[in-house]
Amino acid sequence: MHFIDSTNFERFLKKISSGGELFVPVREAETGKLHLERIELFPLPDNLCIDGYRTVEPLKAFAQLLRYPVAGYPSTEGDDMADEKTFPQVVVAGARGCDLAALALVDKVQVEGEFTDPFYKIRRDKMIVVGADCSECGESCFCNLHGAKPWPEKGCDLAVSKIQGGYLVEALGERGEKLVKENKELFADARDAQIKMRDETRAKVVKDLEGKNKAYPKMDALAEAMRATLSDEIWEDIAARCVECGACTNICPTCYCFLLYDQKTDGSHFQRIFAWDSCQVTGYARMAGMLNPRPRLSDRVKHRLYHKYDYLPLSHGAVYCTGCGRCIDTCSASIDMREALRRIKEKAGSAKKA
Amino acid sequence: MKNPYYPIETLVEDVIVETPTIKTFVLVPSRPIKFKAGQFMQLTVPGCGEAPFTPSSDPAITEKMEISILRTGKVTDALHALKPGAEVGLRGPFGKGYPMEKMEGKEVLVVGGGVGLAPLRSLIYQLLADTKKYKRISIKLGARSPEELCFKRQHDAWSRAASNVDFTVTIDVPAPNWDGHVGLVTTLLDGLDIDLENSIAVSCGPEIMLKFVTLKLLEVGFKPPQIYLSMNRKMACGMGKCGRCNVGHYYLCVDGPDMCYDKIKHVPNVFG
Repeated sequence: MHFIDSTNFERFLKKISSGGELFVPVREAETGKLHLERIELFPLPDNLCIDGYRTVEPLKAFAQLLRYPVAGYPSTEGDDMADEKTFPQVVVAGARGCDLAALALVDKVQVEGEFTDPFYKIRRDKMIVVGADCSECGESCFCNLHGAKPWPEKGCDLAVSKIQGGYLVEALGERGEKLVKENKELFADARDAQIKMRDETRAKVVKDLEGKNKAYPKMDALAEAMRATLSDEIWEDIAARCVECGACTNICPTCYCFLLYDQKTDGSHFQRIFAWDSCQVTGYARMAGMLNPRPRLSDRVKHRLYHKYDYLPLSHGAVYCTGCGRCIDTCSASIDMREALRRIKEKAGSAKKA
Repeated sequence: MKNPYYPIETLVEDVIVETPTIKTFVLVPSRPIKFKAGQFMQLTVPGCGEAPFTPSSDPAITEKMEISILRTGKVTDALHALKPGAEVGLRGPFGKGYPMEKMEGKEVLVVGGGVGLAPLRSLIYQLLADTKKYKRISIKLGARSPEELCFKRQHDAWSRAASNVDFTVTIDVPAPNWDGHVGLVTTLLDGLDIDLENSIAVSCGPEIMLKFVTLKLLEVGFKPPQIYLSMNRKMACGMGKCGRCNVGHYYLCVDGPDMCYDKIKHVPNVFG
């Protein structure tokens, strides 16, 4: 375990991001929320916030960009991928446990398995992620219900914990270790008192999370609960307020679905665009001839939850929710995922008894 | 590294009018494409977009590929307007293809409706290439009217392919100049003389037809593991990522598009 003071931390970030892009969380004064900001000029802004809780923007957005061209055709290069050098090195500092776990889930889809998305893979390989502890719990945070901790355990190169005067730093992989070694003059050994300080903050946040979520059940055995309520009217009820805006899927750090569309660049050249899409909107799965396998909004709301809690555990071995709570913050209809799942579990429980 | 989103340059060599709404496009890709019967391609109309289609040609031929397409939406409208000499693009093949190994030594029942005959033709080519491998091959095809029957020029040859091949065609409602069978394709399954224990059924057509074919097959005595359905949904990436073709936890683009009914029978709205 290392310690780095705030001045040296800034030097460190500057160094590891030179020649690439650096994003850090900053706290917006008006809302108190954290946003990721691109730093092009040092010093780092006064509202830098490596503590607090997760940013508004999900981490996935750095590996799976919102919208980008994937193919220009016809092309003399044919289907050979562009040079990796054209992709920037990106350092994202201050990513929280929920986002790190979520990015590992998106990796499973985009990199592992029979096909790899080369665009995602190259960006991901060139991404240096500095994880950070949460020092607060947001109103919608519920990582604890998934049995997770509000600090980085894996999924980043370095994990930092803000303490008085600077940060504790732990390398969580080969690349992280190398970065520390290459800059060892910036680091000191952590003292026991500093680790104690970190542990006190951690314990406080865990307690806070438990307090804020005491009305909700653990997020386990959800697939069983959903199967037990498959044709129950509770789904209509949960979906009744949804306005089909698609914000929940866009802001979700594990939602990865996308569409491809083509456009003209000039009379004889065309471009294929990759863009995020939402399974909540009517046209998402609609086929030619207007056939739609999920014509009703409740079919789609149900599909989203089934996908996260039943289908993906079967196909990719994990629940695709990490409890970041962004969908709760963003929902125009105030649908709270925790409450929806509590009701489904409750309904499944009473169905079982009956 | 290869870019899986790039459409391989492909020439439209010929366009065959099959029915008033279906055309077969004879395509010559800039490099040979090897596919298994039942696997699908993503076909690009430059600037318009991409749509998934299963080739209707013989999988043994890789230099050329035929795809038979019903005019029914944006991309297919643009396709139907193409003339020989046009440039299109291909990606693929994607998906698993028909379970050929499971058909060997069995009675193979092929049930198709409308444009669903397109992918089945590629299967029929492969089955008829070595009829001795199968105990029997029964092909049952349906269309709304005689005009809408695909590949009529080949029906004679198919029906006479071998002694263990039987071939029946039906149209939905009576029509002038039609003295063949009349009724939905499911009526061809009534009183089916088949060795149930030793059979496998493959079906492709509109989802509503698949539903009734499945119900009929179950009624006749088929078990869900013996039924394979071509489940076609909107497939965009073809690589099990974009999420549009999910049926339950399966991605039709990698796990299908031909799915064993046993695997999907519990899925809500499985037939759309």
